[in-house]
Amino acid sequence: MIKTLLFSTFISLVLSACSLEPVQPWDRDLLAQQKMQLVADPLEIYLDEHTYFSKEASSGGQGVGGGGCGCN
Amino acid sequence: MQLKKKRQGPRNIRHQLAAATCGLLAGSSHASSLIASGDNWKIDSALLIYAEKDRVSLAEGVLSISKEIDDDEFINARIVTDVLTGSSPNGAVPSSTAQTFTNPSGNSTYTEAANSTPLNHTFKDLRNALNVEWDTPLSRSLRGTLGGNISREYDYLSTGISASLAQDINQRHTTLTVGLSVNKDTWDPVGGVPVGFAVMPTYPAKKALDGANADKTVKEILLGVTQIINRQTLMQINYSRGQGSGYLTDPYKILSVLENDGSGNLRSTNPYIYENRPDQRTYQSLYWKGVHQFPNENVLNLSYRYFWDDWGIQSHTVDLRYRFDFDGGHYLQPHLRYYQQGSADFYRQTLTDSEETTLSYASADYRLGEFVTQTIGLKYGFAFKNGAEINFRAEMITQKGKDRRADAVGLLQNQQLFPDNEAYLLQGGLSLDSDMLIKYIMRFFK
Amino acid sequence: MGLERRTDYFVGHFEAMASHCEVLIDTRDKNLAQEITHLAAAEVSRIEQKYSRYRDDNILHRINQGTAVQVDEETARLLNYAQQLYHLSEGKFDVTSGVLRRAWHFDGSDNIPSVARIDALLPLVGWEKIQRHHSQIQLTAGMEIDFGGIGKEYAADRAALAVSALIAGQSDAHARSTSALINLGGDLAVTGPRKNGNGWQVGVDSGAPVNSGAPINNSGAPLIPTQTADFSLKQGGVATSGDANRYLEKSGVRYGHVLDPRTGWPVKGAPAAVTVVAASCTDAGMLSTMALLHGPAAEDFLRKQEVPYWCQWHKDAMNRAATSD
Repeated sequence: MIKTLLFSTFISLVLSACSLEPVQPWDRDLLAQQKMQLVADPLEIYLDEHTYFSKEASSGGQGVGGGGCGCN
Repeated sequence: MQLKKKRQGPRNIRHQLAAATCGLLAGSSHASSLIASGDNWKIDSALLIYAEKDRVSLAEGVLSISKEIDDDEFINARIVTDVLTGSSPNGAVPSSTAQTFTNPSGNSTYTEAANSTPLNHTFKDLRNALNVEWDTPLSRSLRGTLGGNISREYDYLSTGISASLAQDINQRHTTLTVGLSVNKDTWDPVGGVPVGFAVMPTYPAKKALDGANADKTVKEILLGVTQIINRQTLMQINYSRGQGSGYLTDPYKILSVLENDGSGNLRSTNPYIYENRPDQRTYQSLYWKGVHQFPNENVLNLSYRYFWDDWGIQSHTVDLRYRFDFDGGHYLQPHLRYYQQGSADFYRQTLTDSEETTLSYASADYRLGEFVTQTIGLKYGFAFKNGAEINFRAEMITQKGKDRRADAVGLLQNQQLFPDNEAYLLQGGLSLDSDMLIKYIMRFFK
Repeated sequence: MGLERRTDYFVGHFEAMASHCEVLIDTRDKNLAQEITHLAAAEVSRIEQKYSRYRDDNILHRINQGTAVQVDEETARLLNYAQQLYHLSEGKFDVTSGVLRRAWHFDGSDNIPSVARIDALLPLVGWEKIQRHHSQIQLTAGMEIDFGGIGKEYAADRAALAVSALIAGQSDAHARSTSALINLGGDLAVTGPRKNGNGWQVGVDSGAPVNSGAPINNSGAPLIPTQTADFSLKQGGVATSGDANRYLEKSGVRYGHVLDPRTGWPVKGAPAAVTVVAASCTDAGMLSTMALLHGPAAEDFLRKQEVPYWCQWHKDAMNRAATSD
């Protein structure tokens, strides 16, 4: 039930992208900033992922690979 | 697509113009941001200290070096070293009397006091890892990445490769991503790989072994869509699927076995057995992330992940970061994370004598249990005029576990089967480029 | 090339880009002033030789031949910049519009080209007609790229950056606080404030009357504060765009030399001169050029940009009242 709800939310979010205002190349100034990147600080994200990977049963979501360790 | 309303009168182009000019004049030695171009390497480094209350402590150093080797083509190498010390729960539950356990090596024993969570104290580890990545444009709108990784600890080796493609469509408003990875790991545990559900023998007897080492393979695939919503907003949705096969058990973890009478007393003979997990695991996740910049230049970063697998585990993760930018290049970024996990089907905090024979799989590893982790943190950063950056981060992580009612029988009702865990995390980071590094070193030696 | 000592600073002179160029250096050290002047002159000459349309041995000439050319990083950046300006100005600023000078000769006479002549050249104008792929560019036959509109300001900024680097590398702490002002015929760029913390004094030719019929030359902004509008420049740059001396006049209608690439005809009712102060000379140059391209709406545009500016209009009221297309 929850899964269906989540799936439909995600699909509708993606579809709604078609009705969005276009952003011209010269308007991409903000999006080019480091702090606006999906992964603004790769080291911080890597360290967090590694910490939580060894304390929790869930992993990933943002990317693939990266390697494992004996901590879990 | 919505039609853009025709502008009335002139608009302010100062910022776009400044951004364009910045790109034009960036080829000078006074670039305002670090560029890994020409012979210049970009260097990111971080030092992390993680310490749990009465448990594990970790010190980790990361060094990441990037270089642009051709037009928009990069290579990156990341070296990690971590040192782990302290103690970790071995899976057994506390008892009203002291308990004695045999070390994984089988050469000594350790004792846990009454009414306290049994911890394995001889937990010391040094890990080194290397990750190399090559990132290159394949065509005007297609980008490819190839990576390899290797990680080594004294009892674990992990090697893997990964590849991904990113395709821009819709006038670069949308990016489609596909990623694949394969990791082959090997356990080489101290004292060998115990047979699943074998008893922990009383010292000096040795545990029954299923070989000196065991292999594990993990394959992952990711499908993602990144979408520019407007000039200030970006979103990403990823679906991931992973498959683990081989030895997925933790060779050091045990379970307490109780008498069948519901008293909560440990079985009189051999009350501890090694855990056993299935040799297959398929897991999936749906991940959403949004980044938005407000008119005051602050940035909100929000993500949600729903994770589920065929071991019965389900989890929700919400992560929130909000960045306040101040004049002079300083910033502050509070961080909140909420994580909720449901337990695996075969998660047990204790087993009864009869369950030992009827069940195929069981594990008391708290990481497969039912718990909530809450994190609150604050990061401070400062960007120098030449583009170098320094930052500090402090976080408090609290884990609250849920005792499994079915296992809290008899006397065990007086014990805390899943104790709370508190940890703090401190991190310091420095980013600069090789030109600066050489300059500072020369100045130091002058 | 020459060096003059003033009360507490030096002035280095050189000729480049068809202008009289100066470097003002806030130091008492003659050797340093000499070094800075040489460096600035070298950098400006380098850019002039690389992007001058009058040479047949540079990359610009190769590009204008119409063959596919692999360009270097600096040229790639300039082309990217030209593209961004093309879009930012909604087509009014176009580095491919140089071919129109084959029709227009602004010598103060009344030789207005025919519509047919202009129409014949228009197919050769248009940034969107260029083929670009990564660092490769190819023009269609007959097209030309002309960096004249951004060359001088870019050279001023580049010279200032080179001089900044030279100053930063000085071993003496006092020398490291030196400041320089580059003046390329009225386009200015500074490396920073002067040693006493103040800016360089700049005067803007805002009060002098515009003289029609004056000989064609590039009037620079004088550095001695002679006019009412002078200010202190601590960082960034100043640029002036104007059509004061290059124009045609026929039947009482003035045709300034700033052409609208979309029509091939001059922008009607443009101001005589616009001076802008901005974060860099290139920025200032772009804003002043774009102001001119807005014709009578120049001051509306400048007000919107939130930068210091001076706008000078022709005494000729008829042109002032003319509406733009």
